[in-house]
Amino acid sequence: MWDAFITLMITVMLFIYDLVGQNFGWAIIIFTVLVRVVTYPLTAKQMKSSKDMQELQGSKKWLDIQKKYKNDKEGLAQKQMEIYKEMGISPFGSCLPLLVQFPVIIGLYQAIIRTLAVTPIQLVNFSKHLSNGADLIPINSQFWWMDLSEPERLTIMGVAVPILAILVVITSFIQTKMITPPGQGTGDAGGQGAQMTKAMSLYMPFFMGYLALTFASGLALYFIATNLATIAQYVLTGQADFKNILPKLPSRS
Amino acid sequence: MKTIKKYILILLLALIALSLGACTGRRVVATGWSEITLKEDVAYFSYGPQVYALNLKNGTPKWLYPVEPETGVDFYAAPVFADNGTQLIVASYDSNLYSIDPATGREIWSFTNAENRYVAAPLVTDLGIFAPSSDNKLYAVDLNGLPLWEPFETGEPIWASPAWSESCGCIYLTSMDHILYAINPETGSLLWKTEDLGGPIVSKPTVSESGLVIVSTFNNEIVALDEKSHRVEWRFSTSDWAWASPVIDGEQVYISDLSGTFYALDLESGNLLWQLQPGGSIVSTPLIQDGQIYFSTDASSLVVVSTDGVVQRNLPIEGKLYASPASDGDIILLAPSEAEFFLIALNQNGIQIWGYPPAK
Repeated sequence: MWDAFITLMITVMLFIYDLVGQNFGWAIIIFTVLVRVVTYPLTAKQMKSSKDMQELQGSKKWLDIQKKYKNDKEGLAQKQMEIYKEMGISPFGSCLPLLVQFPVIIGLYQAIIRTLAVTPIQLVNFSKHLSNGADLIPINSQFWWMDLSEPERLTIMGVAVPILAILVVITSFIQTKMITPPGQGTGDAGGQGAQMTKAMSLYMPFFMGYLALTFASGLALYFIATNLATIAQYVLTGQADFKNILPKLPSRS
Repeated sequence: MKTIKKYILILLLALIALSLGACTGRRVVATGWSEITLKEDVAYFSYGPQVYALNLKNGTPKWLYPVEPETGVDFYAAPVFADNGTQLIVASYDSNLYSIDPATGREIWSFTNAENRYVAAPLVTDLGIFAPSSDNKLYAVDLNGLPLWEPFETGEPIWASPAWSESCGCIYLTSMDHILYAINPETGSLLWKTEDLGGPIVSKPTVSESGLVIVSTFNNEIVALDEKSHRVEWRFSTSDWAWASPVIDGEQVYISDLSGTFYALDLESGNLLWQLQPGGSIVSTPLIQDGQIYFSTDASSLVVVSTDGVVQRNLPIEGKLYASPASDGDIILLAPSEAEFFLIALNQNGIQIWGYPPAK
């Protein structure tokens, strides 16, 4: 089942690769954007649930019960569930679409890595996903200055600079900040969850940057493409909050 | 609720890390395989970060090169002897060619001109050492590791060992650019080349005494060319990519493909004599010994067949068998991937005598 899914993704990716003149870099970018467009209904649902939840957590009613049941965790949980029910908000509303998207994201990543078969065992395994397409082998992994099958470094004045890893950290940071409302992370409204969000928004870009630094640069290119596609989705739907990146700007909300 | 969210986030991160780690080359996971070289009761082979010299009778190590594994250095090309057996040449994924003293495992010299990994073993002749690289080039060096001529360049990576032809005194080289090249070993100049054979070629060409050069291609085809006229004598269609080198035994030629089909063809006509499909993909060349054919599959089996196509035995072996079986006449050696042992020795009854590394 999973292999069939990966095979489908590889087939689409190779189709794009052939279409763009056998350029694997552009194939990754186009395929990533395409997957983001296809999964947009799920993203939109997640964004809406997330927004509803954020509004709720900033409401007076919510803050009042946080204060009232400060020392009664069970009572607080019960009250919160009542409010969720009353407002018609599913507490898992923002998590479930994310969980559904997760296999797609991992599948996309695996399709990229399996297609970049640069060693014999990788090629034997890759062949099992192809019904034909031997004429596309070997995949051209060169993209600008990069070999997409290797970790990327650009030598500038004798210094090897990991350009893609730096771009991954920057775009991941912008993406995380842009989609996190200013209220989150202050500790008042969100409590433990807000602390978690704050920690994630700090650590996640570096975690992604570490992966980009260590693994094949095809993966880093995918991270950048997916981050930019996510930022574009938030900007186009008017949900991005630039105030988080440039605090001098007036907040959207 | 926030606790649930926290756990979901941690779970997602863990899943990302696992999913990424499982399919990239940064862990100690085999990405290739090495053929086994046997000489005077010692088995030499490469696997991951080290080259091994093991006592054939009991599997005890004679030496390991390098003594301690080094980051970024991987070996998957078969070690080959040079200089009347006084040098062992090993090609590495770190783009270097090493000469090792087969008695001690100490490095004699290294050749560092290549710009990408060596996947296949070099060809050693009296005229020099010819090493094919993934940087699309064939390098020629002497017994001191010094270049003999400017590298011969093809259009794509070279994953196949070159073949020597006694009759034409030339080297046959195949490349992923779909072409077979005949090269002058003394100058590195091109003697002749084929047209596009339809698909990448990753295996060593086989040369018959009658002057046929036979190549397996990813175009689901075996192509036999006449050495003198350079014309295609026959073609045989396979069910899938043909990866393994053809093996000639008398008037028959044995080939296989990734669908797991093993074929016996008539050498001169290319007509099918018999075929069988034991399951799994076949990438290894068969071993012919005492009128029996031994071939392995990546579905964990060693198949023993008579030359008229009757399966004698189908031995289950732990791991995927990409490398060809090797034998000194008594002991059969296999190098499984994804298994507890990465080299095992079987007796003629298929019973395991030893495995390396030894079980803890």
